[in-house]
Amino acid sequence: MSWMKGLTARARALLAPRASESRMDEEFRFHVEMETTRLIATGVPEFEARRRAMVLFGGMDVHREAMRDGRGTRWLTDLGADLRQGWRAMRRNPGFAIAVAITLGVGIGVNGIVFGFVNGFLLRPVPARDPQRLVALFSRDMQSGRTDDLGYQDYLDFRDQSGIFDGIAQSNGVPVNLVINAPSSTAPAVADMVWGELVTENYFSVLGTQPTLGRFFTASDAPRGANPYVVLSYDSWRRRFQGANVIGQIVRINGSPFTIVAVAAPGFKGMRQFAFWPELWVPVGMHGVVLPGSDKMLQTRAGSGWMSTFGRLRAGWSIERTASAASLFAKQLEAAYPDTNRQASTMVTPAATGFVNPSFIKPATLRLSSFLGIFASLMTLLIICANLANLQVARASARAGEIGIRLALGCSRGRLTRQMVAESLVFILPGALLAFGLVSLSPVIESQLMPRMQFQVGPDARPDVRVIAFTAAVSVLAAVLFGLVPALRAARRNIAPTLVRVIGARRPTLRTPGMRAVLVVSQLAASVVLLVGGMLFARSFANARESDVGFDRSNRLIASVNLDLQSYDDNRGLNFYETVLARVRGLPSVVSATWATPVPFDTTYQDSIALWVEGARTNSKTETIAIPVTTVTDAFVGAMGLRLEAGRDFGVTDSAGRPGVMIVSRSLATRLWPDQDAIDQHARVGGASGPEVRVIGVVGDATFAALGPTTESHVYVPMRQRYSGRQTLVVQTRDTPMSLLPQVRTTVAAVDPALPLYGAMTLEQSVENGLNPSMVAAVVAGLFAGLALLIAAVGLYAVVANSVTERTREIGVRLALGSTPRGVLRLVLAGSLRLGAWGLAIGLLASVAVARVLGGLLYGVSTTDPLTFAVVPIALALVVLIATYLPARRAVGLNPTTALRNE
Amino acid sequence: MARSRPHPQEPDALRGSVDLLVLKALVLQPMHGWGIGLRIQQISRGALDVNQGSLYPALQRLEYRGWIESEWRATENNRRARYYSLTRQGRKALGDEVERWKRFVEAIEAVLDS
Repeated sequence: MSWMKGLTARARALLAPRASESRMDEEFRFHVEMETTRLIATGVPEFEARRRAMVLFGGMDVHREAMRDGRGTRWLTDLGADLRQGWRAMRRNPGFAIAVAITLGVGIGVNGIVFGFVNGFLLRPVPARDPQRLVALFSRDMQSGRTDDLGYQDYLDFRDQSGIFDGIAQSNGVPVNLVINAPSSTAPAVADMVWGELVTENYFSVLGTQPTLGRFFTASDAPRGANPYVVLSYDSWRRRFQGANVIGQIVRINGSPFTIVAVAAPGFKGMRQFAFWPELWVPVGMHGVVLPGSDKMLQTRAGSGWMSTFGRLRAGWSIERTASAASLFAKQLEAAYPDTNRQASTMVTPAATGFVNPSFIKPATLRLSSFLGIFASLMTLLIICANLANLQVARASARAGEIGIRLALGCSRGRLTRQMVAESLVFILPGALLAFGLVSLSPVIESQLMPRMQFQVGPDARPDVRVIAFTAAVSVLAAVLFGLVPALRAARRNIAPTLVRVIGARRPTLRTPGMRAVLVVSQLAASVVLLVGGMLFARSFANARESDVGFDRSNRLIASVNLDLQSYDDNRGLNFYETVLARVRGLPSVVSATWATPVPFDTTYQDSIALWVEGARTNSKTETIAIPVTTVTDAFVGAMGLRLEAGRDFGVTDSAGRPGVMIVSRSLATRLWPDQDAIDQHARVGGASGPEVRVIGVVGDATFAALGPTTESHVYVPMRQRYSGRQTLVVQTRDTPMSLLPQVRTTVAAVDPALPLYGAMTLEQSVENGLNPSMVAAVVAGLFAGLALLIAAVGLYAVVANSVTERTREIGVRLALGSTPRGVLRLVLAGSLRLGAWGLAIGLLASVAVARVLGGLLYGVSTTDPLTFAVVPIALALVVLIATYLPARRAVGLNPTTALRNE
Repeated sequence: MARSRPHPQEPDALRGSVDLLVLKALVLQPMHGWGIGLRIQQISRGALDVNQGSLYPALQRLEYRGWIESEWRATENNRRARYYSLTRQGRKALGDEVERWKRFVEAIEAVLDS
């Protein structure tokens, strides 16, 4: 293989450049000697022969260079030399190198992470066949323009009669009780409440995805209602079944057996954007079991639907053609069903990345906010690069002499630029590596930032090809901005002035920092605002954690059940609640226990009661007031640790058939019956003719939610008088609460083995979960504040370093004329402190305005929190001093003689 | 010393012809650089007296292309020299090059004769 020989020859030249050089020299020498010998043989004197041989050979260096170029390895050796020089520069100045790596790394990393979130939400297509051909179909009210989910009956007509779509399906989220039998019969079954989706039988055929395991259910598998099949999500399969072969295994959903037929593709989270991640999919034919009482939901038409609709475009049909065909078909439906479908048209939207009802979230708003996020982080990176480029310029001006001499000696500007870019590369690479490290942490960041709920939510911000490509592109952009700009500037320099400077005849002009100063002041101001915001959020979070929530959250375990899913009727449900409660109260370490729904900080469930109160200001239409309500058992006040201010707690006698009773919160009592004793006051449920309820107790206000409009008004009613199919058990214990969980589980399982106990945690954890948004705000604001401060510090450092370099001569003169080092330090410090003061002043003014806007989100912190407004200026002053001191030290350490000679 | 541009960039036709001459010179037996130069001079009866040193970049180019290969060997006078020889691919390439050269010459002649 001759070409292989050629390749080996090339490789040898690449790997052993010195050997190539010595071979070349030997060949040249040999040639000239042979030629000399030949000439001598023809009678030429030896000295003359050698001279002629050399002439005949031609310029030896020229041939050498031609061969070196021919080897094609020149760029490589040059690059090697440049990189080595960059490495040495980095070793000489490790502090600078670390600062560059961290700022660039964090800057690029933040870009990658933000893009990862946007990518997960908006850009990543659902893992389906040809996702670009998927569209969502909504019912649109022609009068209001509002879009809603298409009724099931309309969906059936669209599917079977319109011929507009190449497959159309519906889906919606449902909570279900899932029981998994352990592999061995002795181990206890695992029961949990999970969120899945009820989907039309053709759901997976319309998507056209491949399952990880098994075969998806289809419409032709079995008659509707006789198709108890379930498809697991990939995550659920890994977590709950450890990735075992589960096809054909039976699980119980709401007490009924279902066969696992497939495991969905990894990353498939259904078609609904901004929804939870479903753990399983069940066919709508089984709706009677999966969602008891859902018959009516399937009789709907027009915009009263309950499931979201999506379809696949027919081959060759555009989305516009499909949309107009759909509205034509909607007209036919309107004619056929004038009662339900009056004014009901349709709307078709792209659904390649999943979809959401545009009436809930405007797509434009979504895109805008996402791109604002990307834009903001890119701007941050731009500022970082500007600062670092400034810093590079400062270093380059310190090397002006070197560069001038090299240019004068004939080094090409291109070569010089290449050298400086290569040096910058050495500095950027660690930053880029750090950035990729940060981006790969996206899933961890996401899991920390997203609230812990019964189901998983979030964009799934794992770094895929798009995220990695974006991060790489941003790194290249940063490299160009950071490395190329100063390099070009340096290479563009005129030779004469720099050389003159080296020789020492030219006075440097004292340039005003100008743009750079403005940049630094605005960066300092921005970091002040972020610091104030972050600190306010952090203080608010700390306050909220320690604040009095009105109930006792210590030593309490909570766990929930949903009897509605298990088709309990009221009697059986009450029986269940009472039996379990009695047994739990009998457990050794239990102090007290109660059922309640919803408990404070329950993020998934809220309930309210409409009360008619004589003389109270009311909603004009129904003449009632809607008040948040919690349904509880006897001895609730004590078990929950509420403060009983007047009257009594619920007792076992407050049951059905007895007079209706309620306990109200202090705020509600004052609101409904100002200046009166609330005890024994009356209200009616639902309206003036509704059943009467009497106030038997008043309790202190309790916090039910951490965010949003806080209404301290709350009503508590006994569940024997107001049944609820879902309840949370609250157990007060002498032990650590979680150690009681196994006993509680056993107790519940003894009463109903098929009933899952879900959401088990301490009441304390539940409160923390409720505080998640303020924790996230504090962490994010804190991180950005730190980043902003770092950026500003680098910027300030660059400005001071630049000015010290440019004023070297001036400083030398001052020192020579008897100025003390202290005086010089003061000179340098004064400049940067002035910048710092400006930044602080502008930042504080802006902070006051921003804090006022944040006011509604803060808990127990004044928007003019003295501590915050004292700590932030001190922190900023410290950073300013450090960023100034490092370059200023150089000015102070200057030897006047050298400084003057240097110029 | 002979004057030459800092980076000799012969026109393609000329470079091609140097390649052709080198290949042709190596047909009979392996030779070292000086020998190749001498041979070209002899064959052309001194008409093609190329700048001797420019032979070496050409040799390097042909070696990378896989048309010739080289090894250290002793000369008749027992001196170490780099000997070049044609590879199989080089032999084939020589045929093609000769063919192309002839076509080129014919074309030029046709133009001149018209």
